[in-house]
Amino acid sequence: MFKKILIANRGEIAVRIIRACRELGMQSVAVYSEADRQALHVRYADEAFLLGPAPARDSYLRGDKIIDIAKRCGAGAIHPGYGFLAERADFAQACIDAGLAFIGPKPSSIAAMGDKAIARATVSSAGVAVVPGTEGEGNLSDEDLLSKAPDIGFPLLIKATAGGGGKGMREVKEISEMPALISSARREAESSFGDGNVYLEKLIEGARHIEFQVLADQFGKTIHLGERECSLQRRHQKLLEESPSPFITGNDELRQHMGDVAVRASKAVGYVNAGTIEFLVDKEKNYYFLEMNTRLQVEHPVTEMVTGLDIVKEQIRIARGRHLRYEQEDITLKGSAIECRINAEDPYNNFMPSTGRITHNLLPTGPGVRVDSGVYPGFEISPYYDSLISKLIVWGETRAEAILRMRRSLEEYKVVGVRTNIPFHQNLMDSTRFIGGQYDTRFVEERFSMEFYENLKGTVPEIAAIIATLVAHRQNQLTANIMQRSPRDTSNWKWLSRWERMQR
Amino acid sequence: MKYVTTIGDEEYIVEILDEQRIELNGTEYVVDFDELGDQPVFSLLVDGRSYEAYVYPSEESLQVLMHGRFYPATVEDERERRLKAATGSVITEGVEYHLKAPMPGLVVEIPVEQGQQVEKDDVLVILESMKMQNELRSPRPGIVSRVRVEANDSVEQHQTLLSID
Repeated sequence: MFKKILIANRGEIAVRIIRACRELGMQSVAVYSEADRQALHVRYADEAFLLGPAPARDSYLRGDKIIDIAKRCGAGAIHPGYGFLAERADFAQACIDAGLAFIGPKPSSIAAMGDKAIARATVSSAGVAVVPGTEGEGNLSDEDLLSKAPDIGFPLLIKATAGGGGKGMREVKEISEMPALISSARREAESSFGDGNVYLEKLIEGARHIEFQVLADQFGKTIHLGERECSLQRRHQKLLEESPSPFITGNDELRQHMGDVAVRASKAVGYVNAGTIEFLVDKEKNYYFLEMNTRLQVEHPVTEMVTGLDIVKEQIRIARGRHLRYEQEDITLKGSAIECRINAEDPYNNFMPSTGRITHNLLPTGPGVRVDSGVYPGFEISPYYDSLISKLIVWGETRAEAILRMRRSLEEYKVVGVRTNIPFHQNLMDSTRFIGGQYDTRFVEERFSMEFYENLKGTVPEIAAIIATLVAHRQNQLTANIMQRSPRDTSNWKWLSRWERMQR
Repeated sequence: MKYVTTIGDEEYIVEILDEQRIELNGTEYVVDFDELGDQPVFSLLVDGRSYEAYVYPSEESLQVLMHGRFYPATVEDERERRLKAATGSVITEGVEYHLKAPMPGLVVEIPVEQGQQVEKDDVLVILESMKMQNELRSPRPGIVSRVRVEANDSVEQHQTLLSID
């Protein structure tokens, strides 16, 4: 059985996996691009090999090279992390063909869940509800769409097949307005993506995005580790996750039902290793299967904090052919965990990514705090990869304690050199709707604002005024000093003539 | 030295008396002000209360970031203020605005054309960087006087992309 693992990833997740290897006594192998020679994962791993130039397609997406390196250095397994090659069935198959263990699900499960139509059909036949709609039914004509709409029910959404970012999306309240909306959605999709195909989906009002972590061993035993609340998103990017979900807390029956459904959906594709079933949940607590992520998730630490399990180590054990050591009854959620994704982006400038060298990096510590980071002072944030710098995770006995702890940690966290979204999270921690757990997937984009005048409670503008003035004053003095005469109190001409006389 | 510092609509008169003493709107405070290392992070003790802030210089102002809040501040000494009052404020209008790339990246799209009238907040350039498409918007109304890049161009940080007259 393998004793050396190649980590086909970078950044904080590569560091996270190397840590699991260390604790299990496994050798770790890093791969890196030319931009990442000084990255933390290269420094922490036992061995490290260059993949190629900075762009991902020339480095972290070069499955062939990665497999080659694994074979040359004697690694027995590959952990893909998330992103890059993690959900590529062909890469998982290529690993197996090369005699390497792929730390993740079977290629067939990745393929089944990667195809929307197959995924929906598979889980529906296992008795799991899916968001009603026509996604995956191919490219339907206007007549087909109109005839299927009443079955889905109103309100519904017209969405672009090639879509994203709300382009080509229309909300339909009744059938009479539908033909006009279909043609305008098609036009917008055509101009945005060069593909005018659209599908219909029931509009879930006040939807929450709640997902269940599952673990399955190679012997068919599948358990879930409870839920994660992931509704706080911006442009479909998650920003903050928590476990348990405040929407489910106190409703153990709902958690049990959804957990059972998640396990059933995983079993339907013969799932092995760690995976995540995503649900949309409406106000009445009806839930619908959205998709399955067939990999380790960015937000896995919140589940680790409340369950006490180390999901990455479990992944490695499962890949080594061990039996799961836990029964479903062994899994309980203790306390409350919150994760803030710390991104190099400026929340005061439309979340514009920020690149540059990190000159200072003071991490929060203390009780109940965990930071999964991939950077250090001197490290350069390049434009080649995503903007995630680190994940700040806290645990508290109650959700209230976790929020207060997160506030405290965000205040301690100092990153200098690039702009970060820490102020965004600080504002979020102060928002009454977040504190009350009253938020849905549209909250950040529609009801949250970083505006200065929005909430003046707790502000100290007079202190800011003093600081700004003192900084400006210092700058003025510095400029004045440069303009001043040299410390020699006589004129330079006099000095020159004295010096000339000495030389005579 | 006496300064007039503006945050939002509020004006603060800050007089620096000596190293340890300042006056804010006529009230005297004992302060201890220090820069932490070689960073834009400053520590201020006011009558024993401790505050820490990032201060970033920007074109016209200082951006103070403290306790997760953002205070854009303009600081003027009295002389500057008198000068400005005499000449009137004619800073932004009439001067060409050059849109510079805030980071290296790939130009995805330029939804405007040379000679086109644009309004404040209109998207001028879509720039891809760090796997995200970022919309660069116009800070004021004007006419696109020159487009210096094309779609699919790779650009460096601070490279001028287009100009607004």
